[in-house]
Amino acid sequence: MASAGSGDEKAATVTLISSDNEHFEVPEAVATLSQTIRHMIEDGCTDGGVPLPNVTGRILAKVLEYCNKHAAASDKDELEKFDKAFVDIDDQATLFDLVMAANYLDIRGMLDLTCQTIADMIKGKSVEEIRETFNIKNDFTPEEEAEIRRENQWAFDD
Amino acid sequence: MDHTTPHEISGRRDETTTRNQPTMSSGDLHLDGAALILSLPEDVLALISAHLRPRDLLALSATSRRLRDALYGGGADKAWLAQCRRLLPSPPHLLAWRAAAGGSSLAVCRFLHSAAPLLGALWAHQNPELGNLVAAVPGFLSVVAARAIPQELSPRLRWAPVFELLADAHGRPAILFLHGHQPADLFPARLSSLQPHANVLFLEAQTDQDPIASSSHQFPRLAFGDRRRLLDSLVAACRVTLPPDLVAAPLFARSEDDLPVLAARREAMLRLHREAGGGMVCTTEVEGLLEAKKKGEPTPLPSNGGERIRLRRSLSAVAGYVRNSLRQMVTRSVSANSRAEYVDTKHLPLADFLHNGESVGLSLRGARVRLSTYRAWPSMHDNRFALYKLTLQAPMPGREYAGLWGGTFGWPPGRPEDECKPRKALFFLLLSYEVDSEGKLLLIATKVLEGTHYVVHPNGSSMFIARMCEPSTEAFPWQTDGESRNVDVERGFAGEGIANGYGFRYPGSKPGSLFVLQDGQLAFVWRETGAVLTLQRLNLEELMKKGERVPALQPVPNFAYLTKSYSNVFTGFPGSSASPRVLLDLASPLVAAPSHPLAPPGCGTAAQAWLLKPGFLPTSDLLKGHRAAYSNCSSSSVTKNGRGITATTCRMDDGLAVVVIAG
Repeated sequence: MASAGSGDEKAATVTLISSDNEHFEVPEAVATLSQTIRHMIEDGCTDGGVPLPNVTGRILAKVLEYCNKHAAASDKDELEKFDKAFVDIDDQATLFDLVMAANYLDIRGMLDLTCQTIADMIKGKSVEEIRETFNIKNDFTPEEEAEIRRENQWAFDD
Repeated sequence: MDHTTPHEISGRRDETTTRNQPTMSSGDLHLDGAALILSLPEDVLALISAHLRPRDLLALSATSRRLRDALYGGGADKAWLAQCRRLLPSPPHLLAWRAAAGGSSLAVCRFLHSAAPLLGALWAHQNPELGNLVAAVPGFLSVVAARAIPQELSPRLRWAPVFELLADAHGRPAILFLHGHQPADLFPARLSSLQPHANVLFLEAQTDQDPIASSSHQFPRLAFGDRRRLLDSLVAACRVTLPPDLVAAPLFARSEDDLPVLAARREAMLRLHREAGGGMVCTTEVEGLLEAKKKGEPTPLPSNGGERIRLRRSLSAVAGYVRNSLRQMVTRSVSANSRAEYVDTKHLPLADFLHNGESVGLSLRGARVRLSTYRAWPSMHDNRFALYKLTLQAPMPGREYAGLWGGTFGWPPGRPEDECKPRKALFFLLLSYEVDSEGKLLLIATKVLEGTHYVVHPNGSSMFIARMCEPSTEAFPWQTDGESRNVDVERGFAGEGIANGYGFRYPGSKPGSLFVLQDGQLAFVWRETGAVLTLQRLNLEELMKKGERVPALQPVPNFAYLTKSYSNVFTGFPGSSASPRVLLDLASPLVAAPSHPLAPPGCGTAAQAWLLKPGFLPTSDLLKGHRAAYSNCSSSSVTKNGRGITATTCRMDDGLAVVVIAG
């Protein structure tokens, strides 16, 4: 059962502890959007809080933002709008951190959303455009690039 | 986090897209975006890959050395496996395929992507008119093209192999074999090109000087006779045989137990193809074969190889159709007429073609060609060794009945396990939707396989058309089915069913209704005659897996049988074990069932006749023991053979010679 929860009128809560030791008290109904946390609650090992060494406080806060919204709202359009705004982030590093967190915490909806977002950054782009998007340095020689282009030609027939 | 930094994207044409996409923040000036991608676990990469196409993954891998090392090969195998699953949603033992490809999902993906134009479609030629439906299904790291032959309804579908396309070690679709008469025979060839939306597959010959994907294909410029002789010579020269222990091996996995023998068969075929040099034959050897053929050629050869199918739908044939169809047909016939029907007299001399290179071999080319279609059936050349694509529409809301259906005539509906004799003829119909000239939705049932012994209507005829917006006013004639269950009719649509028209080539139509029964069966009932055609959805791939392989014809006619035929050329003479090949060359047996248009009234199953190609005479072996009588021959002549059996040759209305044996 919940560690910091008390009484039957209040909903059960669980405390999540980020890698930089920030504590978040979260209703179970919200926290169990994460399959990882759900399994831990079911196994009864959440006393004293759940340590999440792979997730910083900053990212965990964002994750909980997602979970709060998705646990509460049921309107499809409203959720879609939220999701769109959720991944509209300026910072690529944050986006990748969110993907990793969603994977580690096993939050299906958030994982799909963030993976789709990253895919959209790649889809349909040329090699040069992808380099620009992700700030990747080209360390091939022109001959190597030509060879690679030849090798990859089969996928570009349409 | 909104600072613009030197690393910000600048100078891009499309500023709006960048605004919505995250960029590097100022705090990460030295962080290469590649590191972010490389930090993703393989499982996450696979999830991202599921939203991408192969070209996107390849483009990503081409951005830098580290990304190439990570993504192009073993490290990102799950991502490439996700691509394979995207390309082939019901993957047949993908992991076994990966093992056969040296553990590379990338190679499997490459093969699936390149071979995709073949899969998910049906291929056919106009001739033989009973049907010659070819389906391309996944094999074992290969695509197997197999033909469902005209047959009766039975527990196992009979099919014959046509060709196989295998992946090489890199996943290139480089290994091609035609199938031919003996089950152990294989005829190596090459895939010259396969365009993404190919709608015709051409069987050709290619010299070694032909650039593989060149647009200047020389083979089509040869005269028909030269093309046929060249293909025959190549077939004779390039034949290889499977090792005896693999001859009976399946072509696709029916279960996991088949995987080891399939892997062994694949290895053997790769070796055979390599040792045969891809089927390339020295030009001098081919020329020698052509010379020998010229001298020893038996006469006569079927002369209707060059006959063109007349596409003009004359106005008199139209009279049987409803007004809507009339309008539609007239517009279509105009466009069909305007298509060039001349025979190109400026042919490329065969010698010039051969001297283009030092060797020549069989090849398959998949091209996107301008095709006109009439009611879901493409208009086809009949002097090109080609298979034409029949598009399978996918069912969707409002168009639930699209796809491949199979069924029989009569009520109650035929079931495969029925032991009735004679068995019911199996019909395959392609159901598709079209909007007519008045914007009304029509469901068209195109006949693609007919299991009778002698075809009644041309291949590709519309067996029925149902108007989706017009409910039927007729009641379904039967209350119970064969098992005394109540028949539940869900819906009924008004329409027309095929009927005899003005000769074979121009069928007419008569009113009828399409009923949708419980459990998804369809039944079309002809109003006047009460004839009923019941249909069920088919999964052709599953049927072939559980089906029975039968022998193929000789490789070239097995691909495209160009000689006009109205009977089942894919089976030998029933009950005969002696040289079926000879019989196929000379004649196709015909059993005139009582309901058949050619059968005189009152004849039973004892009536038999032989169909011979013009100019051939029956041998005594064929005639031994047959008895028949026909009364409506338009002309006759009497020939005698050594055994003293009298044969009468009759000319029928549609130009066929029917031999009637009396006494």
